[in-house]
Amino acid sequence: MSRSFSWTKAIFLVGLAVFLLWVPKLADPYFLHLTVAAFVAMILASSWDILARTGQVSVGQAGLFGIGAYTAVLFYKWVYLSPVLGMFAGGIIALLVAAFLGTLTLRLRGIYFSITTIAFAEALSVIWLMTPGFAGGAMGLSTPPLFGGNREQAYYLILALLALVTFVVWLIQATRLNFAFTAIRENEEVANVMGINPTRYKVLAFMISAFFTGFAGGFYCHYNTYIIPYEVFGLGISIACLVMPIFGGLYTIAGPIIGTIVIKAIEEYLRVTVSYGHQIAYGLILVVVVLFMPEGLVGLWGKKILPHFRTGPKNG
Amino acid sequence: MSQVNMDWASFFQSFANGLLIAGLYAAVTLGLTLVLGVMGIVNFAHGEMVMLGAYNTFWLFTLLGLDPLLSIAASGFLLFFVGLLIYRFTIRPILNDPPLNQLLLTLGISIFLQNLAMILWKTDSRSVITSYSGMSLHLGMVHVGLTRLLTFLIAIGLTIVLILFLYKARSGRAMRAVSENNTASWLIGINVQKTYLLAFGVATGLAGASGALVSTVMYTYPMVGFKIGLKAFCILVLGGLGNIPGALFGSLILGLTESFVGTYVPEGSGWAEGISFILIMIILIIKPTGLVGTRRE
Repeated sequence: MSRSFSWTKAIFLVGLAVFLLWVPKLADPYFLHLTVAAFVAMILASSWDILARTGQVSVGQAGLFGIGAYTAVLFYKWVYLSPVLGMFAGGIIALLVAAFLGTLTLRLRGIYFSITTIAFAEALSVIWLMTPGFAGGAMGLSTPPLFGGNREQAYYLILALLALVTFVVWLIQATRLNFAFTAIRENEEVANVMGINPTRYKVLAFMISAFFTGFAGGFYCHYNTYIIPYEVFGLGISIACLVMPIFGGLYTIAGPIIGTIVIKAIEEYLRVTVSYGHQIAYGLILVVVVLFMPEGLVGLWGKKILPHFRTGPKNG
Repeated sequence: MSQVNMDWASFFQSFANGLLIAGLYAAVTLGLTLVLGVMGIVNFAHGEMVMLGAYNTFWLFTLLGLDPLLSIAASGFLLFFVGLLIYRFTIRPILNDPPLNQLLLTLGISIFLQNLAMILWKTDSRSVITSYSGMSLHLGMVHVGLTRLLTFLIAIGLTIVLILFLYKARSGRAMRAVSENNTASWLIGINVQKTYLLAFGVATGLAGASGALVSTVMYTYPMVGFKIGLKAFCILVLGGLGNIPGALFGSLILGLTESFVGTYVPEGSGWAEGISFILIMIILIIKPTGLVGTRRE
């Protein structure tokens, strides 16, 4: 850390922290609600990106999100487990499921993993629709409001989780894990020869990703007070999880966060203008990013916009 | 005694239903297999080509009264050209990118088309009901819907035409050569780019034609392509990636399993939708290379 320490960075981070802690005092309830929803999405985006660092594309994060959500609500219903512990349990169960799925599929070519994850989320949705006695079926389940409906406390909880996931991403980036993940992404065979066990690291990345996704699912469930399988296991969440970080810029700390902010703004606008199919923007963004801006918004900023403001010698 | 007969009747009936639907699955999956085999790309938007073919058939039937069996050709040609455009403007520029980008690109096209269909045609489930939709044949103990039977025969016909094309036609043989080794094919004078273009067009055309068949035996709605595409992915894993005999065999396994689960498991028709995933998991546990052959891992 010391080698990348700079006063500008430190002042920026402290300023950001103070601002984020101050937000609930400034914002009206609607804006606070939007912020909480955006933070949940940022957590999903950042945790998808953790896995993507090993070159794996999960198209079924909704499966893990839904598992977290249902774990939290069912523990609450069965044993009155406190919501925050329930969310943690949701993260742990999602992590265990990811360990199982990952061990089976991540030793194969990436496409097997992508296909399995997409089928996994769909299968969970079928299971939930078919077992109304176990977990509410298509009607879903409801919980009492989180913290008695105190949105400020909910905001601080999700902010803490966001800070934690960002810290974990930073940690991955600053440690040897970064080299392992990048090597596996760039060339698995070469990584293997260098003594990195690709499967182990991929499973590890998937488990970290799953924990945060599951925790966020548990939070969503208690915060929203109501979940239905069609939504929490739905393709919409899986797609959002991957489009936001790709749009923002892969394998960066800021990318998933910036991507989420921009996409949430677009989505909020489309939600009021078109009644069906507002995810059309996600499809379009994905195509445009892959074809024209593979490094996302962060890359675009660094390469195309920033140089215009730079005077003096370029230092990359 | 009649109880025994009833048991056998329902067994054969399930077998027949599974077989009939397997024909349709095979037609859908072959296009996916072709693109994967030749170009090494898993086209996530393949299901959406089926969906567009189904909507094309529905609208031609509803607005112009065109018989769905005739619009097989119409949907096939339409989606052939859609495929050429998609290839030329989106896939060709990223052919040399990492596989991740091709996956994300086709996924993006898939999401775009699903939502476009929702915006244009709402989420209603539509069905094509012709004068012969209700007719069925009695073969011994088994009742076979006429539309299902025709669908099956046409799907099998399409499959045979594709296989003949791949083994007899010059451009079809070029596709097989490219799928074996594209550099060597280029060295002996095969136009690899053109072969890719044609393979992609043939695959989407086949998906469009299958879509016409889908519209006669299932509901047509924006997510129908996603559901069928998922089944095709399952078949792909069952048969081993990019392997044509495997795809046919996988279709049979999935069709029959779904049908038998539908008959013998309580509330089975609901559970049948989740079968694809279970089969994928079983295959990955016991034989990740697929049930047939060992090509491509």
